[in-house]
Amino acid sequence: MSTQTAVQSRRTGRFSGIWPPILIAVLFLAAWQIFVVARDIQPYLLPAPSLIVTNFFTDLSLMWAAAFYTGTTAFLGLVFGTVLGLVMALLASRFIVVNHLVTPLAAGLAAVPIIALTPILNNMFNITSRTPRVLVTMIIVLFPMFVNVTRGLLQVKPVQLELMRSMNAHPRTTLKVLRIPNAIPFFFTGLKVAAPLAVIAALVAEYFGGPQEGLGSRIASAAANTAYGRAWAYVVASIITGLIFYLVVVAVEKWTTPWTGRTQST
Amino acid sequence: MSSVQTSHQAVDVQGLWKIFNEGSNNEVTALSDINLSIKPGEFISLIGPSGCGKSTLLRVIGDLTDATRGEVFIAGETAHIAREKQLYGIAFQQAALFDWRTVRRNVELPLELQGLGKKERRERALELLELVQLSDFAEHRPWELSGGMQQRVAIARSLAVDPPLLLMDEPFGALDEMTRERMQNELLRICQETGKTIIFVTHSIPEAVYLSDRVVVMSPRPGRITHTVPIELGERNEDTRETDTFYAGVTAVREALRGRSTSASPSRIEEF
Ligand SMILES: Nc1ncnc2c1ncn2[C@@H]1O[C@H](COP(=O)(O)OP(=O)(O)OP(=O)(O)O)[C@@H](O)[C@H]1O
Ligand SMILES: [Mg+2]
Repeated sequence: MSTQTAVQSRRTGRFSGIWPPILIAVLFLAAWQIFVVARDIQPYLLPAPSLIVTNFFTDLSLMWAAAFYTGTTAFLGLVFGTVLGLVMALLASRFIVVNHLVTPLAAGLAAVPIIALTPILNNMFNITSRTPRVLVTMIIVLFPMFVNVTRGLLQVKPVQLELMRSMNAHPRTTLKVLRIPNAIPFFFTGLKVAAPLAVIAALVAEYFGGPQEGLGSRIASAAANTAYGRAWAYVVASIITGLIFYLVVVAVEKWTTPWTGRTQST
Repeated sequence: MSSVQTSHQAVDVQGLWKIFNEGSNNEVTALSDINLSIKPGEFISLIGPSGCGKSTLLRVIGDLTDATRGEVFIAGETAHIAREKQLYGIAFQQAALFDWRTVRRNVELPLELQGLGKKERRERALELLELVQLSDFAEHRPWELSGGMQQRVAIARSLAVDPPLLLMDEPFGALDEMTRERMQNELLRICQETGKTIIFVTHSIPEAVYLSDRVVVMSPRPGRITHTVPIELGERNEDTRETDTFYAGVTAVREALRGRSTSASPSRIEEF
């Protein structure tokens, strides 16, 4: 196995990994810079990368704090949404009735526009607290988690179920020994979608008043003050935050489920 | 236990029918009027063209799917009770291993469900892996093994709780000829030593003849037993595959599969 993967990575090494995207990013930024300077484009239309980078570093300590604030909201929403999604998925896979009740509900929640929800939650809960933002994030996270984990719990190979039956396994045992392990790769698929979404949700929720320390608030206030370079610098910080969430999930997945992404045994 | 075995057939199938989607327009009669009695310690092979209901028959015997009509008894118990009592082990056509468990822990699974201690489980699993010659792969993951190796893990797993009856669905299909012959001899040895009853599905006529006390020939649409060919090879050894009795058995089964029985065959063939 080790020789095979070694050969494979050697063969594809030159064209895969981290270098091609970096090369493309550098070329893209260079073209952008040249375009803005050559055509003398105004910053409110499109600031040059150099301006964004300068702003990024002058605001670095504030940016850290902002990213930490929004990241914390996203993380809390992600945790609560995931836990709730898991509980709902377990119930839905165990009881068909619950499945029929909960699936449309979850789909309905997913269709609720976060924009419409935030001001309402701000009124329902203490606007000066983080609570409404965490709630919004939680609702956004719930759906991909619920859908993916439910599918993982239910999409078990029939022959594996027959094996459990031949061993006279109790449904609870089948859940523990077969369904839950089977759902783990699905869980990570859901989490890879939900984690960056959580950052976006936490950020957008800040546009509707409340504490002003997050990334979303900073982008809004910079844009309002015609500090476009700074606004864009915070956008970059937001992208990085979302990316970190995603990469952490990928790393945890690699570490905990070495069997995913392999050719399945029969 | 021996008193139970002597007073009952190991497996008794009476007037069994299995009809999928009965009443709808994609109705399939997978099994029609199957009658089969198997004595304790007997080795039975099921052979027949693809789709003739061999796997379905095994699944009904294992109480993994319901019979439409008819009855199945295992050692005098209904199939349902027999399953609850774990009176059989099964190796499916697909290995059906759990990717998230190591090879050893896959073999341990039935023992784990029986609540056996960690240490005993481990010892038994390693013993079984040695039997199927996979000791070196105990801590590997299933997807690191070839198809034939996976199948051997599944066989080891089916033997784990030491059940009196083994249901095996083409377990050697993915093996090379040498490994296959070795596994055949291992299986015969296990049967002799433990007195297990075996129902063995295969597509290979020589394999069926070599292993079995009786070869049950099935034909499709609707799935039914057409012939039963008794095989009397006595003690199997390296020369068995060269004997006239062996060739006669192979010929008899082949003729039966073609839908006729030859008078040339020394074996007595029961036609249905
Ligand atoms: N779950 C099912 N629903 C409907 N029809 C089925 C089902 N399982 C099996 N059948 C049908 O029953 C018939 C017998 O199938 P079975 O799998 O028992 O055949 P088999 O003899 O094991 O074939 P093979 O040698 O290819 O494994 C086939 O016609 C098949 O289409
Ligand atoms: Mg089959």
